[in-house]
Amino acid sequence: MDGSPLPITAQRDRMTRLWPNFRFGHLGRSGEGGRWVGEVRPQFTRFLIELKYTLFNMPQVRVLRPALVRLPANSEGALPHVYPPADDPVLCLFDPNAKEWDAGMYLAETTIPWSFDWLACYELWLMTGRWTGGGRHGSLIPSVESLP
Amino acid sequence: MNAPFQPQGLNPFDNAIDRILAEIALSVQLPPSLHSKADGRYGAVRAHLEASTAFAGQIEHFYPQGSMAIDATISNRGTDDEYDLDIVSQLGGRFRGMAPLAILIELERELADYPVGKVLRQTRCVTLCYADRMHLDITPALRVYGSSDRESLITHGKGPQPRTDDRFVDMNAYGFAEWYRQRTPLEIRFAKAIRDHWLGLDNALRAEAEVDDVPDQTAFPVKNTATLALQLLKRFRNICYADYEGRMPPSVMLSYFAGMAATPNMSLSDMLIRQARWIVRAIDDASLYGRLLHVANPACADDVFTDRWPADRQQQDDFAQHLRRLINGLEAAKRGEMMPDRLMEWLRAAFGGRVVTKAAEHMAQAVGRSVQDANQSYTRRGGLLIPAASVAAAPTVAQARPHTFYGIKI
Repeated sequence: MDGSPLPITAQRDRMTRLWPNFRFGHLGRSGEGGRWVGEVRPQFTRFLIELKYTLFNMPQVRVLRPALVRLPANSEGALPHVYPPADDPVLCLFDPNAKEWDAGMYLAETTIPWSFDWLACYELWLMTGRWTGGGRHGSLIPSVESLP
Repeated sequence: MNAPFQPQGLNPFDNAIDRILAEIALSVQLPPSLHSKADGRYGAVRAHLEASTAFAGQIEHFYPQGSMAIDATISNRGTDDEYDLDIVSQLGGRFRGMAPLAILIELERELADYPVGKVLRQTRCVTLCYADRMHLDITPALRVYGSSDRESLITHGKGPQPRTDDRFVDMNAYGFAEWYRQRTPLEIRFAKAIRDHWLGLDNALRAEAEVDDVPDQTAFPVKNTATLALQLLKRFRNICYADYEGRMPPSVMLSYFAGMAATPNMSLSDMLIRQARWIVRAIDDASLYGRLLHVANPACADDVFTDRWPADRQQQDDFAQHLRRLINGLEAAKRGEMMPDRLMEWLRAAFGGRVVTKAAEHMAQAVGRSVQDANQSYTRRGGLLIPAASVAAAPTVAQARPHTFYGIKI
């Protein structure tokens, strides 16, 4: 990828092609943002997830339902690999310092499948108490400026 | 001329519910190393008996019966790693004039010095207890000549003195195994997936334990979905009756229903539901008319599988209730209605805590490794297919890209 931001229309078209069960809506009046909502089932449970993305910002994925279960005493934290707020967490799907994502990449080929990975690892974390999908926890939320 | 229909079966590792059920079944079934040992032990016991004066030239056939004959051996009630295996020793003319108890005592005498932990004479067999907690039941039998398929009379004698209820009991374990095998043919895709996974599990265990080499296994440990579902059904039965002292629904009866319900190319969870429903219907029909469940060997009408269970209608109705609980739980899991923590609770209650924990650990390791190596793919609904599962599996719409989970602990 050369990092040139893909327009929302391109993101929308690729999403529609790969994940047609996600519904699309525009975010904001300028047409620079989109919101996709879809039901998925990476493994055991059906989840309704939301992807929000506006150009020059990080994509944000939330689980709308069911409510995410916490394991308060777990070594990975009560809920691993998310950004606050605690009552409405955003899934953290890539390391911003590792340049794994930039705005020239398709959400349908990165953020969405990475969400499935997160959900699969989350389910097995609930079942075993162990997060086996790897990754690392930082101490700060990356700023928009830190993104590629 | 058209080629004969060859069912392929479904790969249970393509689907999360089926995958964890398969992991559970494989963790309670006879592991590869013991499977091979069992074969060797059959031969060694036969050789020992044939070297004795009493049994020399008198063993006409020596063959596995019960679960071992149909690949459905799992750990016995109340354990996760003890296995009961059954052998029929079809005896010759010298034994034809003897009373049932006398035959059992003669067999016990010849095996008394056999190099195992313990030798026990039971009502119908002599049991060899090995140090690795395998139990080999050897049942003496006399062939009913003129009948089909090795129909035989087996000994029933409680001892230690002869009793009025000592008798020979009609049976045809060989014919039943043949019937079961005909109804549950090889499903090649399923069988290969299970064999590869099974051997992998045993290798991993042995690497940890540093015990004997794993023998080369080329045969399929389980040939079809119906038999793996039967193993789960038996495990469920064992857990339901773990704290119950009396008789429980017999394995051979469950095998009969598994054979009756068998149909090719069905998912593991659907097959388990189908088998459970089949039994519930049979029990409900019997109870409706005030009868006890009656199941006979399809290869021998006098070989009644339900001769010692159920003792009364309450026993059969209780089992039907347990099965309804199994069906309801499986259906909820299949609909995706249970959060994984609740699903784990349900699985533990149904199949036992230790094996379910182990199964979930195996699955977590496999999925986690795949995510970290970015070699998984995805179905249209976001289902993860990890490499072993993705051969000839469900169609995929995207391949993984490497990424690193980040975030903060909240």
